[in-house]
Amino acid sequence: MTDYEPKIIAFLCNWCSYVAADAAGVSRFQQAANVRVIRVFCSGMVDPSYVLKAFSSGADAVLVAGCHPGDCHYISGNMKALRRSFLLANLLKEMGVDEGRFRLEWIAASESPRYAEVINEMSESVRQLGPMH
Amino acid sequence: MKPKIAIVSASGCRACETTMLDIHYGVSALNRWAEIQFWPFVLGSSMADLERIDHLDVCFFSGAIATGSDRAMAEMLRKKCDRLVAVGACAAYGGMPGLKNLKKPATAEAADRGDLPEELALPEQENRVRALDGVDGIDRVDAVVPGCPAPVNLVWAAVSALVCGGEADARITYAAARLPEEMVRPILSGLGPPPGAVFAGEKAVCATCSRKKEEKRFKAVKRPYQAYESTGRCLLEQGLICQGIATREGCGGLCTGVGVPCRGCYGKPPATFDPGAKMVSAISSTFETEKPAEIQKIADDFVDMTGCFYRYTLPAQCMLMKG
Ligand code: SF4
Ligand code: SF4
Ligand code: SF4
Ligand code: FES
Repeated sequence: MTDYEPKIIAFLCNWCSYVAADAAGVSRFQQAANVRVIRVFCSGMVDPSYVLKAFSSGADAVLVAGCHPGDCHYISGNMKALRRSFLLANLLKEMGVDEGRFRLEWIAASESPRYAEVINEMSESVRQLGPMH
Repeated sequence: MKPKIAIVSASGCRACETTMLDIHYGVSALNRWAEIQFWPFVLGSSMADLERIDHLDVCFFSGAIATGSDRAMAEMLRKKCDRLVAVGACAAYGGMPGLKNLKKPATAEAADRGDLPEELALPEQENRVRALDGVDGIDRVDAVVPGCPAPVNLVWAAVSALVCGGEADARITYAAARLPEEMVRPILSGLGPPPGAVFAGEKAVCATCSRKKEEKRFKAVKRPYQAYESTGRCLLEQGLICQGIATREGCGGLCTGVGVPCRGCYGKPPATFDPGAKMVSAISSTFETEKPAEIQKIADDFVDMTGCFYRYTLPAQCMLMKG
């Protein structure tokens, strides 16, 4: 499929990754245009059910991005996200969601090139995998 | 005129249907209130009998829809019955037979290999196991009694409410304490349960479980034979996979009360989006460590999470695999 554009849902923490995404846009980094951004107050509030809901509503990949360990605005929200991510990734794998469709990343406000890089990597690998269903 | 009723099982273990008989002297009472017209298990009724019946008031349907004849019976009952009641996890959510959906049928695998014996006499299988209301020809289920098996007291609350017009007060009062008030009021006043009523509570099993949560964390997952405390601390916090937090309350913590983790037989509470997601978040929040490698190690100890978190609900409540 040549014209397949994967849909990526990105839950971005308001205090860091969202700022990075914004800056990435402002500084016109080349980035794939298939991302739907959902701004959240902290990566720790992205309940596993949000991720399942995104996949069940047609997302091809889900990114959760938050502040680096130690930098979370709410002290340990990102650790909560980290703790959940492993079990969630295993459950998704069991249900047939390929590895690489779900990612948790730390992206600080100043790291807009990193944001663009993650998005480009994800859309490339998901394009290889093809649509979810 | 006495209401006409049907009692049937599709693909299940029949324990739910047997619950109907578990009322001892109540059986004769049921006969006084209702005219049982179709009950293959007890009366030996056949599909031909069902075809001859024009109209039924209530049908208590247990078992999942896994075969062509399950589907045909369910669709016909839906057309003839005023109120179709899903009894037990199988009928309500697909139940344990629903776990078949995780794997391609053995017959299909054999057919792929080209070695299907021609004379294989199996009932015609549906491509997926479904809950009663997951069948195309069934637009609604009028009431649900969850549980595996659906417990005698709640089945009887449903029978009293739907068949006896609220007359069997004693039995309803017995179950009423476990039912939400909005449901009990119309039942007791003889109006019958609201459409789509679920004969169970609305919160999670944890709300009525006798065990104490201490915000303790665990280092490794345990199996029931590795930890047993008949009373006391929350089982989840001891490292056992207790699904009380992702399960609809109504049993009063029947299993947890005797030291056995909840396996989720009442399905999810209305406020929970997906039982698996809820369990992932509940379990992970009790991990003590913050080191990725250590978390990975604990997480990898969990095998068959799908079969565990959706043990009774895969066809109906698993957001990624239902349908
Ligand atoms: S819900 Fe449980 S007890 Fe009832 S028929 Fe299904 S497997 Fe049997
Ligand atoms: S998790 Fe299980 S043991 Fe703990 S309070 Fe909830 S139902 Fe009870
Ligand atoms: S504790 Fe859980 S598994 Fe046991 S009866 Fe109650 S809902 Fe079912
Ligand atoms: S505030 Fe950014 S991850 Fe918590």
